Amino acid sequence: MRTARWVERAALPAGFLATLVTLLGVFYYPVGTVLSESVREAGRFTLDPLLAVLTDPFYTGVAHHLFADPLGVPAGLLEWITAGFPPIAFGLFGFTAYQAALSTAASVLLGLPGAYVLARYEFRGRRTLRSLTIVPFVLPSIMVAVGFLAMFGRTGLLNDLLSVAGLGPVELTFTLQLIVLAHAFYNAPLVTRLVATAWESVDRRQVETARAMGASRLGAFRDVVLPALLPALLTASLLTFVFTFMSFPIVLALGGLDLATVEVWIYARVQALDLSEAATLATLETVLSLALTYLYLRYEARQRSASGAGQPLPRKSLAIGWDTLRSPVRLAIAGYGVVVAVVFVGPLLSLLIESVTTPDGTFTTAYYEFLLARQTSTAVGTTKPLPAIVNSLVYGAGTLLLAVPMGVVVAVVATRGGRGSRLAEALLTAPLAVSGIVVGLGLLQTFVFGTVLFGYRITAAGPVAIVFAHAAAAYPFVTRNVAPALGGLDSRFRDAARSLGASRLRALVEIELPLVATAVLAGAAFAFAISIGEFDSTVLLAEGVDSYTMPVALERYVGNRSLGPNLGPATAMGTVLLFITSLSFVAIDRLGGRWEP
Amino acid sequence: MSSVTLRDISVAFDGVPALADVSLSIEEGEFFTLVGPSGCGKTTTLRTVAGFESPDTGSVSIGGENVVGLPPEDRNVGIVFQNYALFPHMSVRENVAYGLRYRDPPGEVSTEQRVAELLDLVDMAGMGDRDPEALSGGQQQRIALARALAPGPDVLLLDEPLSALDARLRERLRVVIRDLQQDLGITTIYVTHDQAEALAISDRVAVIADGRVEQVGPPEAIYREPATRFVAEFVGDNNLFGGVVVSADPPRVGLDPGSDDAPGTTIPVDGVSGVGREVTLSIRPESVSIVGDAERQSTDLAGSITLQATVSTVEFMGDAYRVHCEWRGRELLAKIDADEPPSGAVTLSFDREDVTLLEEP
Repeated sequence: MRTARWVERAALPAGFLATLVTLLGVFYYPVGTVLSESVREAGRFTLDPLLAVLTDPFYTGVAHHLFADPLGVPAGLLEWITAGFPPIAFGLFGFTAYQAALSTAASVLLGLPGAYVLARYEFRGRRTLRSLTIVPFVLPSIMVAVGFLAMFGRTGLLNDLLSVAGLGPVELTFTLQLIVLAHAFYNAPLVTRLVATAWESVDRRQVETARAMGASRLGAFRDVVLPALLPALLTASLLTFVFTFMSFPIVLALGGLDLATVEVWIYARVQALDLSEAATLATLETVLSLALTYLYLRYEARQRSASGAGQPLPRKSLAIGWDTLRSPVRLAIAGYGVVVAVVFVGPLLSLLIESVTTPDGTFTTAYYEFLLARQTSTAVGTTKPLPAIVNSLVYGAGTLLLAVPMGVVVAVVATRGGRGSRLAEALLTAPLAVSGIVVGLGLLQTFVFGTVLFGYRITAAGPVAIVFAHAAAAYPFVTRNVAPALGGLDSRFRDAARSLGASRLRALVEIELPLVATAVLAGAAFAFAISIGEFDSTVLLAEGVDSYTMPVALERYVGNRSLGPNLGPATAMGTVLLFITSLSFVAIDRLGGRWEP
Repeated sequence: MSSVTLRDISVAFDGVPALADVSLSIEEGEFFTLVGPSGCGKTTTLRTVAGFESPDTGSVSIGGENVVGLPPEDRNVGIVFQNYALFPHMSVRENVAYGLRYRDPPGEVSTEQRVAELLDLVDMAGMGDRDPEALSGGQQQRIALARALAPGPDVLLLDEPLSALDARLRERLRVVIRDLQQDLGITTIYVTHDQAEALAISDRVAVIADGRVEQVGPPEAIYREPATRFVAEFVGDNNLFGGVVVSADPPRVGLDPGSDDAPGTTIPVDGVSGVGREVTLSIRPESVSIVGDAERQSTDLAGSITLQATVSTVEFMGDAYRVHCEWRGRELLAKIDADEPPSGAVTLSFDREDVTLLEEP
């Protein structure tokens, strides 16, 4: 009895320790290796590689003067001004930031009206629409990229429709516009969700008080509503900027090397086996994104208190019979609805349509047959669909085994308060700020190539490393679902159980976890979906081996033109992937999953 | 059943003291109540006994055994919370049986028998299969009580168990709790912010303010002889007077300094000493009566003191009138039983025995 008690008491700290060690092994150690590689040459500390990148105009554009010749900057500036502001280049980093800024602006533009409609209008399907705003988080980005190609590409749905109308083809592939639009697809729903939540938390009595004291409708909006919305908008914008700065598959598939961002360039360097330059770039990128994430956390921490138990503003009816047609605002909303349908439904629908139609618009099953043919092919190096599906499911299951216990343990520590919870918060945020490519690169350089730890040589096969990478990316989603549920649970449930004789662990297992079971399951569904869709690190770790997943297979099919200049095989594979991720979404939605960053 | 002793308990949260040198000694089988305003530390005291808070200094013993450092599950206490904290994913029966997973029921009975016994005890027999959330607040309260009592705890801790209920049900259930406690003879610590509830059901009451024990004693003593200004003000309605000792023999306290034209008002107060010392006196409103009109001067006649005052507001309470009067710029409250509300100039009168001298000014 005494021993059992002792074991039970040690179980939670041991679980947290195990989580820490796992994270240290599969995340911090590999990423740290990448970072330290970039400042070491032949075992000695050096800043030369970093300086080499910073002073290279290709990477930093005009800013390279800052590092190459800081004293000459004022003179150069003067020269530029006297020359009448000639155009200047900003380099790879500048372009990456530029496209991230454009993407952020597009996401805000596309997302804000949605927040307004969701927060202020009542209509059939409002709740469904609202829960659909988390869909992008579980959609594999390479699949979305293929969807955008299927819609806007040379042989895509848009050009098919235009040619029916007798209009010439529009060339959007490999344009910045398409990348920005695809980024908006991902991040506008985030803007919508965060701002709508803030809007709903505005207490109508505050607005009514302002109106009663003489403020006009606009005045009350400016004085009461706007101050509540701005923090949410800024939070969403910062997050969008971080996400799009590090975005990889979208840029790779829709832009290629012509429109490469830092992330794509790192990938290209790895493929060219120039690992040291990749590491240097990865270090600079990670420093930038960590700084941005720190900014985001600092900002977010200051505005967390504003949770109102007040009455939300009343919702207006969206449809008011024939009068709807006479209401300019409602007509504008209808127009917005069309845009939303095109941007959000269009690519996914195009994916389905293009997977069963030939470029001239006739029905075909050739692409699915192609997949079957691949499956029976005996050629070495063939990317087969079935192993991709099986691998994805196996890695998904492996990710669940690792990520769910880790996420739950971190959630328990995070909700306890004190120093542990701050540590947990920091642990959670790091994967957000480090790109999948960097994690993949780190794992490649450590466990896959073999590493010596405490005198033991450790090598992990690609599949194991992939599961590690997926778990590191997925466990925060488990925690983000479980922690609020645990935190919202009355601590007196636990206290009651303990005073009745249950140990801390027993109270957790018998009382608290059953009460938050749906949150745990929703977190698990999220983790599974993240694993299924993960591309960034998987594409590096599955290189040259048969451990490819569905998204990796999809990317390989995009480049396959054996059936002519069309996306057929990729869209067929994408449809399979869409089907499987839809199942995850249905699970998440049924379980009330959430993702409030 | 066990006695509970707290010695010099101090607890601080993030450096802010919640309890400062609290010492209490609760007898075996006693119904002991901690009462005080919200945030005073009464719940922290209870949680320290239960083991949810560990004191920075001091000792807690249950049945003579020091329990500091012992986790809650190893102290044999039963606790009932304000919101009952019934486990929503378990039936009523499973809730009551939960503690029996870890502790053997007292006597040679099976878990089922013990659960049936307890449900019977709280008058909820036959409700075992119900979902706790389907029960009314009062019923949930009884189940929480049954659950806490099932393993036969040494001490029963009740943390505002009635606060979530409406006034009438509260009054009915407090009698149920008191009867149950008497039948079982279990040592009980009861936390409430409601001083009337504390007085109604306790053997002894501790009034807590700002993390300190102000006074401990039977309800009657707490009410009639408040030891501090805080107790006098917190427990029941009270009139407080600041005054200065003007003579020690005979003992008299001046209520106002007076002027050259009119002498100050002085009243006799037993037990004062130290001429020139500032003191606080208290007199309960029900000890103040309104007598027929008399001369506008204060006199002491046959041990009773009279003051000429003016009625400012009258509240009708059903069984009495609460009469707010003004006397020389001070407010005085009288609670009187009369057919008609008094008005205008009145004479207030009270006995000198009813005047209490508070220890601190």
